[in-house]
Amino acid sequence: MSGQPPFRRLLVANRGEIAVRIFRTCRELGIETVAVYSDADAKALHVRLADDAVRLGPAPAPESYLRAGAIVQAAVESGAQAVHPGYGFLSEQSSFGAAVEAAGLAFVGPAPETLAALGDKLEARATATAAGVPIVPGMFEPLPTGDEAAVARVESLAADIGYPLLIKAAAGGGGRGMRRVDEPGELSVAVTAAARESEQAFGDGSVYLERLVEGGRHIEVQLLGDSSGQVVALGERDCSTQRRHQKLVEEAPAPGLTRAQREQLHALAVAVARQVGLRNAATAEFLYASDGSFYFLEVNARLQVEHGVTELVSELDLVREQLLIGAGEPLSPAVLAAAERAATPERHAIELRVSAEDPARDFMPVPGLVTRWREPAGPGIRMDSGLEQGWRVPGEYDPLLSKVLAVAPDRELALARVRRAVDEFETGGVQTTLPFHAWLLAHPAFTQARLRTDMVARDWDPSPPRAAAAERAADAVTRHVAAAGMGPSGPEAAPSPASDPGRGWKPEPWA
Amino acid sequence: MSDHRGHLRLRIAGSDEETFHRDPAELDAVRGREPEVRALPRSADDRAAGVHRFETTIDGWVFEVTVEDEPRALLREKAGQGAGGGGRAASDHIKAQIPGRVVRLWVAEGDTVEAGQRLLAIEAMKMENEVRAHRAGTVESIRVDPDSSVELGDELLTVR
Repeated sequence: MSGQPPFRRLLVANRGEIAVRIFRTCRELGIETVAVYSDADAKALHVRLADDAVRLGPAPAPESYLRAGAIVQAAVESGAQAVHPGYGFLSEQSSFGAAVEAAGLAFVGPAPETLAALGDKLEARATATAAGVPIVPGMFEPLPTGDEAAVARVESLAADIGYPLLIKAAAGGGGRGMRRVDEPGELSVAVTAAARESEQAFGDGSVYLERLVEGGRHIEVQLLGDSSGQVVALGERDCSTQRRHQKLVEEAPAPGLTRAQREQLHALAVAVARQVGLRNAATAEFLYASDGSFYFLEVNARLQVEHGVTELVSELDLVREQLLIGAGEPLSPAVLAAAERAATPERHAIELRVSAEDPARDFMPVPGLVTRWREPAGPGIRMDSGLEQGWRVPGEYDPLLSKVLAVAPDRELALARVRRAVDEFETGGVQTTLPFHAWLLAHPAFTQARLRTDMVARDWDPSPPRAAAAERAADAVTRHVAAAGMGPSGPEAAPSPASDPGRGWKPEPWA
Repeated sequence: MSDHRGHLRLRIAGSDEETFHRDPAELDAVRGREPEVRALPRSADDRAAGVHRFETTIDGWVFEVTVEDEPRALLREKAGQGAGGGGRAASDHIKAQIPGRVVRLWVAEGDTVEAGQRLLAIEAMKMENEVRAHRAGTVESIRVDPDSSVELGDELLTVR
């Protein structure tokens, strides 16, 4: 790079932690930033951190963050030269990338035709097969819909694949539109729900069936490619700790693989990416079966939520590399050097997703006001967050709030660091997934790296840790009351929960 | 009754409400790392009943803790018994635990349901969240339609 920023001004077509993450790199490169926002996000951190911000519309995503035309117009009118889509929302819709390019702007992502070929999971399965990469047995066409004949056809397709099976959204990602089906009686309800969820999330209700391979691990490979067709693998991540097919924890490298297995896996991923001429960042996801074989699952042709663990191990800034590639530059010397080292990693990184979800109630999303938010820091800790204390988590979007990342020379120290970070993290007002993480980080199966995608569903029981914490909550409140009284007693005393509890409270005379 | 003087009754909300009894005098002093306790707004009923609300986070669990003086709670209970209790019956009303939109309704009024059976689904944050029966019984009334928007705490239906 010549010292000139790759772009003068860039718009991020996203919100929350990923918009903040991208703005940080832009700042470092001297690129001016433009945020977009819905009414629910007018005071969001990503809006405050940007140089300029454009309102898209009301809170629901279809009226704001999914309005491709409005976003392209915002980019043009705000003088941006490029658009970064982040993940989710429009990031993998080839029509969005095409509209950005048609407006004369750079799209920081794969070419629209690549997105069409890779982002559609069914096409990706066909592509992988053509590249000689093994896939999980299942369909190559979307399920038929509509009449009774279609229903019968779906039932017979499911019977051919066999139960248990997975319904997946052709346009999907992040577990949206995905359903496990154990028996024929559940099929039609699950197909309808998956199709609707997919339609809501991606604007495309196409779903298909795939055999469910149980007891395996989810391992994925980070890829970067440039416009000349050069593609490299930058190491793998293990994302086996999931529930409802949504990742909770990711780490790099995948524990327990030999160098030869890493090289084989990385080569499979590069083969799929070359087949479609990948440009920019993508991730090839694989199922690592208990017999040691890798099955290709899909390619996510965008920056992943969990890209940070690869950054910490490879010492790359993947967003920076994305921006350079987006400006037409070839893969940088730093990327090529990291690719050389990808099968012999010398660090270990772990990421925890902290979401506004209640782990005691099946990880149900729980939007609301964040009354306390104090993040951990210190050696080996990186925080990627999209909020601050006092933020009201909207109910309209993905509940991911923040990511805690730890890096160390080995897994044991990375575990100690991330455990310490969870212990330091102070939250209030909104239930988060932190108690789950505390449990996981103490669980022998996790600490000993016996990872399985079904571990959470089988082993997570919130009752014992929650009951123990409830006893201590009763103690803490009792001590507080004994020391400070009950708090406000007058009719006017109904301050927001965010206010400092130590200020302005009259101890109530205690009977 | 006088031995309850100064004792606290604390209730913690959750899928099942739990009750704790504490005597401040019996708790050991804590050195360091005492969790923050945040006072929550009180309703007029709370004030009339001498009920206080706090929130505290322990090991990442966010607890809403309702506190009242034990003798007062006992008196209130005695008064309540004459009026038919009410504490149990209230739990038959299933309320929305999350704001969102009702996207599915699997039951109709008069249906017999088993404990754990799916009743309806609320979509929020792009995920469908199933609401299941907390007990076996009959669906007495349904207060929502498919496509209804619901707020946190809205009554959805009654299973008795």
